[in-house]
Amino acid sequence: MGSRRDSASKPADRTLADVPLEEEVVVVRIDVAGEDIEPLLERGIVPGCKVCPVRHSPAGGPTVYRVDGHLIALRRETASCLCVRSALEAAGVLDAN
Amino acid sequence: MAPAATAAGGPAHPRVALVGPPNSGKSTLFNGLTGLRQKVANYPGVTVERRSGVVSEAVGSVEVVDLPGVHSLSPRSLDQKVTRDFLTGRMEGDRQPEAVILVLDGTRLKTHLMLADPVLGLGLPTLVVLTMADELKRRGGGVDVRLLSAELGVEVALVNARDGVSLAPVRRFLRALHTGGEEIRACPVVSASGAETAEHAQGRSLPVIDLFAERKKRARTLGRSAAFQDPRPSGITHRIDSVVLHRLWGPLVFVATIAVVFEAIFTAAVPLMDGTEALVAASGDFVARTLPESWFRSLLIDGVWAGVGSVVVFLPQILILFAFIAILEDSGYMARAAVIADRLMHRVGLQGRSFLPLLSAYACAVPAVMAARTVEDERDRIATIFVTPFMTCSARLPVYALLIAAFIPAGPLVGPLGMRAAVLMGLYALGLLAAIATAALLKGTLLKGRSNPFVMELPPYRMPSLRSIGTRLLDRTRVFLRRAGKIILTVAIVLWVLTQVPGGPSGEPPEIGDSALGRMGQVIEPAIEPLGFDWRIGIGLVTSLAAREVIVGTLGTIYGVESDDDQNFELQAALQRDLDLGSAVAMLIFFVFALQCMSTVAVMRRETGGWMWPTLQFTYMLFLAYAGAWAANALL
Repeated sequence: MGSRRDSASKPADRTLADVPLEEEVVVVRIDVAGEDIEPLLERGIVPGCKVCPVRHSPAGGPTVYRVDGHLIALRRETASCLCVRSALEAAGVLDAN
Repeated sequence: MAPAATAAGGPAHPRVALVGPPNSGKSTLFNGLTGLRQKVANYPGVTVERRSGVVSEAVGSVEVVDLPGVHSLSPRSLDQKVTRDFLTGRMEGDRQPEAVILVLDGTRLKTHLMLADPVLGLGLPTLVVLTMADELKRRGGGVDVRLLSAELGVEVALVNARDGVSLAPVRRFLRALHTGGEEIRACPVVSASGAETAEHAQGRSLPVIDLFAERKKRARTLGRSAAFQDPRPSGITHRIDSVVLHRLWGPLVFVATIAVVFEAIFTAAVPLMDGTEALVAASGDFVARTLPESWFRSLLIDGVWAGVGSVVVFLPQILILFAFIAILEDSGYMARAAVIADRLMHRVGLQGRSFLPLLSAYACAVPAVMAARTVEDERDRIATIFVTPFMTCSARLPVYALLIAAFIPAGPLVGPLGMRAAVLMGLYALGLLAAIATAALLKGTLLKGRSNPFVMELPPYRMPSLRSIGTRLLDRTRVFLRRAGKIILTVAIVLWVLTQVPGGPSGEPPEIGDSALGRMGQVIEPAIEPLGFDWRIGIGLVTSLAAREVIVGTLGTIYGVESDDDQNFELQAALQRDLDLGSAVAMLIFFVFALQCMSTVAVMRRETGGWMWPTLQFTYMLFLAYAGAWAANALL
């Protein structure tokens, strides 16, 4: 992921952990290995879905995200495994609803 | 459809399984259908609870089985494996259901419909129930049930699980199992990704990420065809969250909530516990007066009544705790509390979901160990269970109270904080510290591994319903009494026998020092001498294996303190003769650490699926207790 800001030609991928509150983004890739990815997928966090950070919890705890109209909290370390693009950029790239 | 026969023989009711994601209103629907006619058991060989109930309709009865809440049928977790095996008829000793009711939260169809393909892919007659109809409407959402039904090829009903009226379509479906009505003849339309699901379940998987992305796409298409309108985000939820997850107010609300729960289980529960104790004592007296003097009466009174009574006394406290847990969970706050606690818990190797079991453990470790099931990650769950008995359960309180009153002066320490209160708080803190250190130790060694993603859903706030809380309380009480009662009863009887043998020439029971139990105390005396304990305390420690507070009664018996009035006062005087400050503190520390509770050991074995963890835990805690007590006795 170190190279995520290298290429200037295509929109730089950010991780979900970098997204400011209230900015809607689209998940493009999930870098979680093995079975650990299933808790995310089962709750509807799949490539192509829209996610919007709505609230930080106290003292650097998990951040609350809105996914399909309901709230899901993720730790920073998990959020940083999700590569995202802003919803506007992604509209051209992916069929994002 | 003809009712099938059970393995046990005789015709059984047709069976319907309730399947759905957690928080979908599945259990509310189950309670609404079955009322109090519920049975809780375990699936063969595993700890997952199997709840079922019989619903009687005019045309015949139907057995409804409430399966654990699942997000998919992949066998990742025990709950999901049980659900899958049950639905496919692979559960040993349990036959496949004749039909399925798939329960989905109507406000969250875009995600919950992801479960439709795997469940409909089973090919069983299915009714899809969309719950939270009122909430969907109130928040400006909507769905066309007929369109969705046509799309899925099965009946779809939109209900409020809380009111009986809108359950009519569900009851119609249950009746159709007897009459062979239209509802159950409808055949599910199996989509491509449904078929893939069946393959996935058999291990021939396509990449899991594609499978779920496919399902999500299908769920969205389904929603679109059924004119599903997303509800607006819940405004009230947003407002409450801006307080309870606030940087400053959030932690305050969290601490205040814990304080209220503690206050309730330690102060408000006291009169109820005293009342229960009086009731146990009075009923014991009554039985003692009714029965003639005999070994049987002694067994009943000194064994069964004393033993089981010591557990029943904790019931009011446990009920109050469960009532709070039910309210906190049903209202939606518990998920927020887990989020607040996660940061701290994660640092010591646990996670936000461990908070609930650890809080429960202040009342009793037995329900706490069971509550650890909500911790999804297996390593985190084991770690949580392992440290649970370090939290100061209420069974330690009578022991602490006795020793503190006997050895710690009543004067003030600093300001309004008395010396005795400070010592009591210190003992609580010591237990908590031991739990934290142990969790960190475990996660650094035996349970080492990458931490799984912590994915916590925050449901919208809802007003908890009295009915649902009442049902849960009743249910938890039954489970607690049955599990704890069985162990306590057995141990109480064994201990009683050990105090009765060897009998004298005319069959009279021996002096306590000459009984098998007394000899055991003398045998272990050399081992506990370095702690400053003699054989009398040794017997107390042996009997307290059944339950910690039993030591108070045992010491009372050993010191021959018979008068009922000032029993504790005289016991204090006796202890002051036998123990000095060092050995008294040693005993307190021993009780902080040692796992003297067979009920906890038994429930641990069930929940961890073997003797390995309970054995390790018992040994580890005994080691800490011994070392701590030795150090205290040597230093003071």
